[in-house]
Amino acid sequence: MSIVELKGIYTAYEGGEKAVIKDLSLRVERGEYVVIGGPNSAGKTTLLESINGLIKITHGSASVCGLNVSSQADEVRRRVGYVIQNFYFDPFTPFTVEQVVMMGRFGRLGLMNRPGRADYDAAQRAISLVGIEDLAHKTIGTCSGGQQQKAMIAHNIAKEPEVMMLDEPFSNLDFVAREYLQGVFKRMVRTGVPILMVAHAFDGLPDIPIHLVVMNQGRISYDRNCRAEEVEGIIRKECGVSENARVADRK
Amino acid sequence: MLEWLIENNVVCHALEAMIFASIACSILGVIISRMRLSSIGFTMSHAAFAGAALGMFLGANTQMAAIAFSMAVAALIGPVSDKAKMAADATLGVLFAMSMAVAIFLISYMEYMGKGLSASSLLFGDVVSLYREEIYALAAVCGLTIIFVLAFYKEISALMFNMKIAEAAGVRVKLVYYILLFIIALSVALSLNIVGGLLIFVLLVTPASIAGQFCFNVRSMFIVAPTVALFVSAFGVWAGFEFTLPVAPLVALLLTGVFALSVMLSFKRRINTKIH
Ligand SMILES: Nc1ncnc2c1ncn2[C@@H]1O[C@H](COP(=O)(O)OP(=O)(O)OP(=O)(O)O)[C@@H](O)[C@H]1O
Ligand SMILES: [Mg+2]
Repeated sequence: MSIVELKGIYTAYEGGEKAVIKDLSLRVERGEYVVIGGPNSAGKTTLLESINGLIKITHGSASVCGLNVSSQADEVRRRVGYVIQNFYFDPFTPFTVEQVVMMGRFGRLGLMNRPGRADYDAAQRAISLVGIEDLAHKTIGTCSGGQQQKAMIAHNIAKEPEVMMLDEPFSNLDFVAREYLQGVFKRMVRTGVPILMVAHAFDGLPDIPIHLVVMNQGRISYDRNCRAEEVEGIIRKECGVSENARVADRK
Repeated sequence: MLEWLIENNVVCHALEAMIFASIACSILGVIISRMRLSSIGFTMSHAAFAGAALGMFLGANTQMAAIAFSMAVAALIGPVSDKAKMAADATLGVLFAMSMAVAIFLISYMEYMGKGLSASSLLFGDVVSLYREEIYALAAVCGLTIIFVLAFYKEISALMFNMKIAEAAGVRVKLVYYILLFIIALSVALSLNIVGGLLIFVLLVTPASIAGQFCFNVRSMFIVAPTVALFVSAFGVWAGFEFTLPVAPLVALLLTGVFALSVMLSFKRRINTKIH
């Protein structure tokens, strides 16, 4: 069975007039590097949040790591890493980067259990893997935007997830950090952990087969493997085509 | 409990009650002010107030009625804000207005019927006429609050950091959030007789804000806030009885004074002008 398996799912926001995701099916296997592209408001973030159950699906079935997302959402979220697209931490947030990274372990630890040796080790490993040792004791709200983004990535690496989802994780990162972290994700993929990455810029993609998913208006319009250097061209074509189709529709 | 220290029974009870109420409320205050949910304090205290008015109206035990009513409101806050996808703040505002309407309606009605009742002890608190049982109940709630924070420390800190990130990490946010609401309801309802509906807010918010001026981490906030609250309220009780001043407002003013002082002294707000 695929590690992520969506069959004909629909997702709607409360008060929304239409479903944001419509009749969408997707399979992701272990060890795949999935790039999710598409224009703004195509439903990329909504897709990720349907996979880990932060948003309820209204129809269809979703299973992740063999669990039913609708009925076992907490358990799914314990196993799926998710770097969110937008966050804001005010300067007085009373948590250090180290504590925030540690919080990645909290879900899988379960209620009331305290972090132990293994959890501290995992957090330290994640911090040094992402290269933010010097920030460990800085409060998160006083870090720069890129530093905060790195902290959130480390938070999810410390979680040791079975699936890693990232929503534009590089939007604030310089090119050195981007290339370095792409290397980290490539190694995660090698160990079997699939990556689902929403992105708008594709420089520095690892030179491994890419499972490219292009979204358009809540649907998947392209879902095939390709090479890293083809990604941008395909997305341009897919989005351009649908733009033409929309113009044609209106006529 | 403190009879060995203070001979006068009334003073002793007042001191005990004030200490337990201020410890419980200030600990909860650290959580809710970080979560930007301070208006829970408003809502709960008025819910307790409305419950007490209802109890008087029905000739029932006011304390029990206050607890029941604020529990009911606590049970509404979570689902209503879930369902309506409103900011919790808006839900709290609506429930606050509803509680106030119930309370004023009942009090006015009773006055109109000539059954005039004194709501002043509910509004302003009354530290001199406390029952032993009330103090035990407060002690129990104070203990419950401390146990809650210790047992769920990791979940609570994740919630205080960021609800969405906590949820994505797989923390059982809803469960902890609901327990939090119930403990707040309980503490506020039990503190109503002591500090009154209007001043509970001070105990919830001010010690947490004082701690926020000096503390860089959550653990120290959980220690500083109740410690400050404890000393200020103990001093307030002593000064109140010594100089025959109303205790609860005095404690409120003292806490506000300490807050003002801490804002002035806070090194967190200082900018180092020697850096070039
Ligand atoms: N909380 C919400 N309530 C109602 N509608 C929403 C909400 N969040 C998103 N939407 C709508 O859902 C649609 C898809 O949004 P989504 O955030 O998934 O897009 P996206 O592909 O991630 O876009 P971007 O590239 O800008 O991040 C949009 O039309 C948006 O208006
Ligand atoms: Mg998005």
